[in-house]
Amino acid sequence: MSHTLDRLAFFTRKTELYSGGHGVTNDEDRSWEEAYRRRWQHDKIVRSTHGVNCTGSCSWKIYVKGGIVTWETQQTDYPRTRPDLPNHEPRGCARGASYSWYLYSGNRVKYPLVRGRLIKLWREARKTLPPVQAWKSIVEDPAKRKSYTSIRGGGGLVRSTWDEVTELIGAANAYTVKRHGPDRVFGFSPIPAMSMISYAAGARYLQLLGGACGSFYDWYCDLPPASPQTWGEQTDVPESADWYNSGFILVWGSNVPQTRTPDAHFYTEVRYKGAKSVVICPDYSEASKFADLWISVKQGTDAALAMAMGHVVLTEFHRDREVPYFKDYVRRYTDMPLLVRLVKQGERYVPERLVRAADFADGLGQANNPDWKTVGLDEATGKPVVPTGSIGFRWGEQGKWNLEEKDAGGGDVKLRVGLKGTHDEVVEVNFPYFANTAANGFASTEHPNTLMRRVPAKRFALKDGEALVASVYDLFMANYGVDQGFGGEHMPSNFDDVEPYTPAWAEKVTTVPREQIIAVARGFASNAEKTNGKSMVIIGAAMNHWYHMDMNYRGVINLLAMCGCIGQSGGGWSHYVGQEKLRPQTGWAPLAFALDWIRPPRQQNSTSFFYAHSDQWRYETLDVKEILSPTAPEGDWGKAFIDYNAKAERMGWLPSAPALKTNPLEVAKAAAREGVDPKDYAVRELAAKRLEMSCMDPDHPDNWPRNMFVWRSNLLGSSGKGHEYFLKHLLGTSNGVLGKDLGVTGRRKPVEVNWRDEAPEGKLDLLVTIDFRMSTTAVYSDIVLPTATWYEKNDLNTSDMHPFIHPLTAAVDPVWECKSDWEIFKAIAKAFSEVCPEVLGVEKDVVLTPIQHDSAAEMAQPYDVQDWWKGECELIPGKTGPQITVVERDYPNLYRRFTSLGPLMTKVGNGGKGLGWNTEHEVEHLKQLNGEVLDGPTKGLAKIETEIDACETILMLAPETNGEVAVKSWESLTKQTGREHAHLALPKEDEKIRFRDIVAQPRKIISSPIWSGIESEKVCYNAGYTNVHELIPWRTLTGRQQLYQDHLWMRAFGEALCVYKPPVDLKTTAATHNFRSNGEKEIALNFITPHQKWGIHSTYSDNLLMLTLNRGGPVVWLSEKDAARAGIKDNDWIEAFNANGALTARAVVSQRIREGTIFMYHAQEKIVNTPGSEMTGQRGGIHNSVTRTVLKPTHMIGGYAQLAYGFNYYGTVGANRDEFVVVRKMKKVDWLEQPLYRAEVGQ
Amino acid sequence: MANTYRALAVLLSYPTSDTAALMPAAAAALEGEGLVPAPLVRKLMPLFYELSAADLYDAQSRYVDLFDRTRSLSLQLYEHVHGESRDRGQAMVELLKLYSSRGLELTAKELPDYLPVFLEFLSQQPADEAAVLLGEAAHVLEALRERLKKRQSVYAHAFDALLALADAERNGEALKALMQEPDDDPNDLEALDKAWAEEQVTFGPDKVGCPKAEAMIAQMKDSAA
Repeated sequence: MSHTLDRLAFFTRKTELYSGGHGVTNDEDRSWEEAYRRRWQHDKIVRSTHGVNCTGSCSWKIYVKGGIVTWETQQTDYPRTRPDLPNHEPRGCARGASYSWYLYSGNRVKYPLVRGRLIKLWREARKTLPPVQAWKSIVEDPAKRKSYTSIRGGGGLVRSTWDEVTELIGAANAYTVKRHGPDRVFGFSPIPAMSMISYAAGARYLQLLGGACGSFYDWYCDLPPASPQTWGEQTDVPESADWYNSGFILVWGSNVPQTRTPDAHFYTEVRYKGAKSVVICPDYSEASKFADLWISVKQGTDAALAMAMGHVVLTEFHRDREVPYFKDYVRRYTDMPLLVRLVKQGERYVPERLVRAADFADGLGQANNPDWKTVGLDEATGKPVVPTGSIGFRWGEQGKWNLEEKDAGGGDVKLRVGLKGTHDEVVEVNFPYFANTAANGFASTEHPNTLMRRVPAKRFALKDGEALVASVYDLFMANYGVDQGFGGEHMPSNFDDVEPYTPAWAEKVTTVPREQIIAVARGFASNAEKTNGKSMVIIGAAMNHWYHMDMNYRGVINLLAMCGCIGQSGGGWSHYVGQEKLRPQTGWAPLAFALDWIRPPRQQNSTSFFYAHSDQWRYETLDVKEILSPTAPEGDWGKAFIDYNAKAERMGWLPSAPALKTNPLEVAKAAAREGVDPKDYAVRELAAKRLEMSCMDPDHPDNWPRNMFVWRSNLLGSSGKGHEYFLKHLLGTSNGVLGKDLGVTGRRKPVEVNWRDEAPEGKLDLLVTIDFRMSTTAVYSDIVLPTATWYEKNDLNTSDMHPFIHPLTAAVDPVWECKSDWEIFKAIAKAFSEVCPEVLGVEKDVVLTPIQHDSAAEMAQPYDVQDWWKGECELIPGKTGPQITVVERDYPNLYRRFTSLGPLMTKVGNGGKGLGWNTEHEVEHLKQLNGEVLDGPTKGLAKIETEIDACETILMLAPETNGEVAVKSWESLTKQTGREHAHLALPKEDEKIRFRDIVAQPRKIISSPIWSGIESEKVCYNAGYTNVHELIPWRTLTGRQQLYQDHLWMRAFGEALCVYKPPVDLKTTAATHNFRSNGEKEIALNFITPHQKWGIHSTYSDNLLMLTLNRGGPVVWLSEKDAARAGIKDNDWIEAFNANGALTARAVVSQRIREGTIFMYHAQEKIVNTPGSEMTGQRGGIHNSVTRTVLKPTHMIGGYAQLAYGFNYYGTVGANRDEFVVVRKMKKVDWLEQPLYRAEVGQ
Repeated sequence: MANTYRALAVLLSYPTSDTAALMPAAAAALEGEGLVPAPLVRKLMPLFYELSAADLYDAQSRYVDLFDRTRSLSLQLYEHVHGESRDRGQAMVELLKLYSSRGLELTAKELPDYLPVFLEFLSQQPADEAAVLLGEAAHVLEALRERLKKRQSVYAHAFDALLALADAERNGEALKALMQEPDDDPNDLEALDKAWAEEQVTFGPDKVGCPKAEAMIAQMKDSAA
């Protein structure tokens, strides 16, 4: 009964649980939801991105309320992809999502800051003196100068105003131009693609001034020199979406989920589609879990692994069974069918240079550039022929530079691959072998230093007599130890023979089981066979940061080439290191390098620059002899690296900043006094050695760089290899250099470059850093200028990972006294123009530039290397020496020039990569869009006042963003190739992308001949695509993928063909081992600096959110075994040191690390939680404190087709992975360094 | 309306020749209005004196090092309240609203939570209300005072004065939490070590988890059994 009364008529009792107990109801207070509701009550959403050194290039929504940025979310409006291809979204990672705090962070630079002592001197001097005089009175007084240079990094900064600080900088620059020369003003800023206008702002100022811009891609060691060596292209790679088209992906030394986070989904997705994936890296990286097979290779031995895989593929897919697709590919697209001279060395032969048309008495009918046309054999006739496409066809004639199977006369040609069967004789050829010695525990084998292999050869009557020639293919096979039936010494007969380069041999060197090597090679090649080349290698910094990175890379490139993967969608070489892809490059270059006003620009390769000017050469530990090939041709090879670099500068191979010991303005004046052309004058004086090049004496005060700008970069905190040397010599402040220079150690000194016993300390008069946060570089600077963040400025951003261009947009005005980089350099330009008339007017400047790639001059010395300085030849600018140009600089009007588009765009036109086109129409459009300057000397020119004007300039001029220009540029290429290409851009001829368009939505760029892939609705962007499918030659000597490097220096250093070279011995641990013992056990480990998860380079690594996710300060990772050996427990403080310096960090002890290595993630900041070092007595350094740059001569080669200089394209690179450190537990953790003011106040 | 707040705003601003010129007036306001107990004002006098000197370079570089570059001493109040959380932007929006509701527009290139800005705003409010508003930030002020004291900085006395002005029930919990935050003082090793210590992470329902979920799982286990 009571039951019925219990039943309520009007209410239902609320139950706690529903859905069978799976759901819960509750009545908690929900006011917390208010926070979320408020979040969505924004005033506006603005599109921007994070212009950090990251290839992500992800579009973000920035929410703004009341003029304050409240938060950000990922943009999800990327244009859709085609059917059966996943979309790009969502892009953006946790790092980007934590950015908004940066705006208001305590770490932000809020006001222009100047070192107190300097500004005091300046104000004092300015009371009585005009600006330039005032600066002079400070820097020419050694005591005054030292009073602020010696305390760099020591605090003591005070606020200044924009007016004051720009006047000071302008005066310093004007003084430097007048007193020392414009090329003593140096600027470093990396990665234009991440914020093009910001880069361009500083570069434009420097180029109008005559200063030098330093490269970054090579300095960061992100440039793979193997790419220009093989393809004549800096770097061109498939977009990440193309991973999805692959059938087999080798991820080699790259950590896709960690460092390519927004792209990693394509990697996951293609695995669902059935692609196989093998990950090769020493540690169990984040990428390893994606792998069907993880191969733990001994660090630094990747080339050996690649060679062994190549051995398997050549054996099974080329020799035992010929795969038609592979054979056809190497015939048409590589240099394998071309002929090489063999020359006698002792009893045997060594391969020499490629045969040229000029070698034949009749030049094989070639009148134009016969020295630069390579030769093959026609399969049908057996006669030598000159196939079209080599570099000799590129310049001086038209319509024959293509990869059609034709000879110069237009006849059909099918080149013979390999001489077997048609050879006249079999000769004994020596190949260099380097793995018979190795240091620091790397494996070596018992082999002689040359390996004789028998090679089929033909005899030809050449104009200099009879010669033996072989084909690249046969040399290639012999070098890999693949016996075509001719035999040789140490020629393996099967994969289990421990002879170079079998899987069994590689097992010894790399520790990878031979079965794995064979299985992976077979899988890779058979997928490529079935899919016509859809096998891909994603390759990263872990491969490229070794001294012998070229061997690692060429080993992989060879593998791809022999399987026909380059230029095929879903296949190819995917090098994702650094953010090199500035898609609208040819629109940007005129703006950035002021090519609209003055050509040529001064561009400097930073590695050589810093090696010389931070005096790292004075501490060189590697002897050239250690890396010289046993098969090196006779020659004077026993010099120091700095000698090689100086030689390269003299011969016009590498750039020089400064170039001449004498101020180039004075050189022009001296010529004028004599009434001679300054160029002739310079040549005469150089040849007579009355005029000296700076490279011959880098420590002479006349040759020091004097003013330096660093912007968009943490040069000292992140990318300064040899950090302590920077501090000691370039900055002249307290430092932790532990080793002694060559003068003390007695190691061999340079023989050509002048040695001074007294090393300069503090070469720079002024260091200016422009940043939005107090980075390590800012801490060390004399002046720190507060710049706008990525939500406070308008700019452009592109990436190699996806084909879209999108903007950074100012969501709010810069807070505090910050200004955008564009506005900052505009202000400096204005101040400079106002103060410079004190000492400067319209001046003539003598500019030395290296022989440029993609210009006809790249055909400089076809055979020998002759050095005018040694009297071996005449100094001919642009041929045997640097190009010399006289330009006019209108200093008082620099600001007006900065803010308008100069007349050269109309007069000379625009172009890039060897192409040129008329751009008058675009200049007219730009005048209408941006408006014209109304009066003054730049009257009638298009205005470039604002950042948006600057964006429009780029977008208007670039073929990638202006369809009309794209069509023009393809037509320009048609003249060279004789083939019709405009169809690639014609459907988009009327498309003109404007700044407002990309603010509305990211836009896909337009196909242009500047890049080797195309944008299409049918294929993804893939590098080399137009070479293979449009038959456009690669920009190399042969016009083909250059697998044989025949330059004299390449042969001297044993890199004509790819070989395995063990890591070099930098000998930096012995001197410090047990030197200042603290009683703890010391062990030596290989120092590895990968990219981190909780930061991008040094950005974000001071972000507290990221620090919390990590361990909150500098850490190193080491293996359990090594930790046990040294008595280190997890979270202990350790010190790592060597002759270069010391660093302190917490230890993370982990199973994922391979024994023998220590990891320190790239660029953790010195400004965050770093205690003092027991070794140096200074605050523990950064990861670069234990590194030093070492140059490689093969990277200095110039004036030789693809081996010719280009900015960020070729040149020395800052390798650092061969370094070892001594590691030990710290006894006492001491937090050093009082702020300067305290010391001063205490006095 | 009390000029005392304005005086302290000047005192805590970046020292320039302009602020130097205001120091005598500021000191006089502090003494004259008597809102801050006289002993505390006396302790502040050396700082007033120092900041009125002609040669300000040392004072300026000290200010930059302390307040611009040391995060745990930042004068942006919300650095200590919201840190890097997303609530910070919203909080600044609210603060701006408060200012404009009292007819004041922030025109200087400063964020609304910059302490001298806030003090100047308070100087334009009725004294008792100002004291209450300042009291809301008392735990931050106290934390800054403690940190400055540890550094033996004369600026600590300015915070003594501010706390004397603030009408606040001491928010002990908030202060405690704040004082547990790592200080940037590179000489304080222990604080740093604490910040480094990694806490064990536990997943799933337990004391810190969701009790309801725990109950639910228990029930599911029961029904399964």
